[in-house]
Amino acid sequence: MHPDPRSWPIMVKVPLAVAALMVLVGLLLSERVLAGLADTQERHLRDLAQSYLDGLPSAVAPSILREDIWEIFEAVERAQELHRGLRPTETVVTDAEGLVLAASDPRRHPLGSTFGTRQQAQASPDRSFSFQAGADAASALRKLSYPGRTIGVIHAAFDTSHLAAERRKVILKLAATNGALTLLLAAGGWLLVARMMRPVRILTEHLAKARSAQAAPIAAEVVARHPGEFGRLFGAYNALVQSMDEREALARKLAEEERLVSLGRLTSSLAHEINNPLGGLFNALATLKSHGHHASVRGNAIGLLDRGLVGIRDIVRTTLAVYRTDRRPRDLTAADIDDLQLLIMPEARRKAVRISITNEIVGSMPLPSTPVRQAILNVLLNALAASPAGAGILLSARPVGANLIVTVTDRGAGLPEEGANVLAGAVPAAPLADGGGLGLWTTSRIVADLGGTIEVERPLEGGTVVRLTVPFAKAEELPLVA
Amino acid sequence: MTSSADARIGRRCVLGLAASASIIPGLAQAGSGGSEAPLRFGLTPVFLTSDLELLARLQLYLEHRTGLPVILVTRRTYQEITTLLTSGQLDAAWICGYPFVAHRAELRLVAVPLWRAAPLYQSYVIVDRDRTTRDFADLRGDIHACSDPDSNSGFLSTIALLARQGMRPDGFFARSFFTYGHRNVIRAVASGLASSGSVDGYVYEVVAELEPALTARTRVLHRSEWLGFPPIAAPRVPVDERRLSSLTKALLEMNGVPEGQAVLRLLRLDGFAAGEPALFDTIAANVALVAQAG
Repeated sequence: MHPDPRSWPIMVKVPLAVAALMVLVGLLLSERVLAGLADTQERHLRDLAQSYLDGLPSAVAPSILREDIWEIFEAVERAQELHRGLRPTETVVTDAEGLVLAASDPRRHPLGSTFGTRQQAQASPDRSFSFQAGADAASALRKLSYPGRTIGVIHAAFDTSHLAAERRKVILKLAATNGALTLLLAAGGWLLVARMMRPVRILTEHLAKARSAQAAPIAAEVVARHPGEFGRLFGAYNALVQSMDEREALARKLAEEERLVSLGRLTSSLAHEINNPLGGLFNALATLKSHGHHASVRGNAIGLLDRGLVGIRDIVRTTLAVYRTDRRPRDLTAADIDDLQLLIMPEARRKAVRISITNEIVGSMPLPSTPVRQAILNVLLNALAASPAGAGILLSARPVGANLIVTVTDRGAGLPEEGANVLAGAVPAAPLADGGGLGLWTTSRIVADLGGTIEVERPLEGGTVVRLTVPFAKAEELPLVA
Repeated sequence: MTSSADARIGRRCVLGLAASASIIPGLAQAGSGGSEAPLRFGLTPVFLTSDLELLARLQLYLEHRTGLPVILVTRRTYQEITTLLTSGQLDAAWICGYPFVAHRAELRLVAVPLWRAAPLYQSYVIVDRDRTTRDFADLRGDIHACSDPDSNSGFLSTIALLARQGMRPDGFFARSFFTYGHRNVIRAVASGLASSGSVDGYVYEVVAELEPALTARTRVLHRSEWLGFPPIAAPRVPVDERRLSSLTKALLEMNGVPEGQAVLRLLRLDGFAAGEPALFDTIAANVALVAQAG
């Protein structure tokens, strides 16, 4: 497990926290219980010891005064016998000098031996009691005063091992109870958290799936099983997935429409391109009508008509090729790049921009022709729009390894940062956020769909270099593009 | 003063007295019609006063045999009983040989118990069982337990022993104290309160039989010469001649009737004999010896 507890899973943290809290509570409670027990034991013992020592003085004091050793001894024995429940282990009666007058165990404290010192006997308070919780013995002392004069001292010791045993038993019981409770609550905490975290896990799994593949909504029965906030959260997630799907659909539709939009942008140029030769063609027709019988004139007119019509046919064919989705996806060929020149030329001429194309494609490339052409066309149109009159645009298309690299270099004012970001796909901007940039967004989408990348460079000498890198499709998987 | 008034008597003794003072006299009075003056019989701790059953049986026996209500009077010290006896407050009392000798002029001998078929007993000096002492002289510096200052076996005999060697108890023993009961002397030595003690040999033997655990912790170091057994004595001038003769008769005939034999069995005695005052001459000699020694 990771050493930093902050990174532990919540399934571990919560039971551990519960256990830690329980241990703390257990310790506090145990401390209170033991303190209470010690207090009760001491009070109980003190009361018993008092009653024990209360009875003795009246029995022994006159005997002490008479030095009646036997009577003192008998009184002590009687008291020990009488207070058997108190478990007196030893009772020693000394005179004021601390010399033993009688003891419950005379062998241990022989008559006349010293028990404590006179100083101790004098200095000690009139009565004292000492008991340590958990200890095996307690002791009590009582001074015997006979009108105002200390005549002797009674020392009593009590066996408290049963109290210590009781205390140990309580400690064990507390430890067992608290331990069991802690384990139980920790397990309960684990189960509870596991249960509470289940919806979060479901959500996390779905989100992880959405990141790697298509976001899928959470099944309705799962949502129904979770009423309350998780139900609402699942509902919100499903709504999000739905809106993402809708957005995806809209984007596809937009991409589709973009082709038509760019067509629209080219229509006037195309019309102009068709219209230009039309005047000549009509002239040729008129010449043919009036001077058709001259073989040379006829031949010239027919040649003119033929070239003019071929030009119109090429333009129309290219336009059709570009703006009609192929029934069957076709691989990109060198001709597709050449077609682009044909398409862009009328607009370039109108703007007096030179377009030079370096087409290194040989044969066909394993790439779908329609989206690749569309993407390149969009970039070209963008470059054309940015280029001032007299400037040049360089288009190069060459296969490098398993990629097709297409570079469009212009000498324009430079692609604005925002546009460059949209193109590079760095900004997942809404396509119509500012009413423009649809072409760039569509290009970005197409290239992303093909698994390619777009880089935008702005060289120091000005203008913009846009580089599309599109990997070749693998034979078995055809890219899903419109 | 009633017999139950003296609180300083040992616990067992008190129990015995309570019984004798309340239950038994009631029975006795019922039997005798309650018209006659009771026979007052004094007991000293020479005798096993701790046995409740014994006291009850002795009283019952005496009442049956004398036809008189009997009051058994016990006191803590020998001296109190002796005083009651010599002052005529008791018809008779079971006293020790020492007070009998000391008050020879005021007392008459009623009967002498027979122990092991003779009216004799010994005084024992006992020590702790584990003490290796072999000789009485080794007890110098001891804490010595005595029974009663008026006891022959529990005091006089030992100081006479010392007097014979020219010593006095306070010079020989570091300390001595009285326990006012032979059984207490055994307890004092057994518990270690005293390192040696003087005790009635008869009591010691009976206790050894009844409470072997108590005497097991002691051993007899010294046995005295045979001495006259504690006698039953009466004032020289009887309080009531008829009562005294009834009592004398009851005592002397005790071993002849089952009821008396039961009492004797409890006392571990064989009976009572008339006895001769000369029996106590040895004790009298000891008294003289001690008196001479000062």
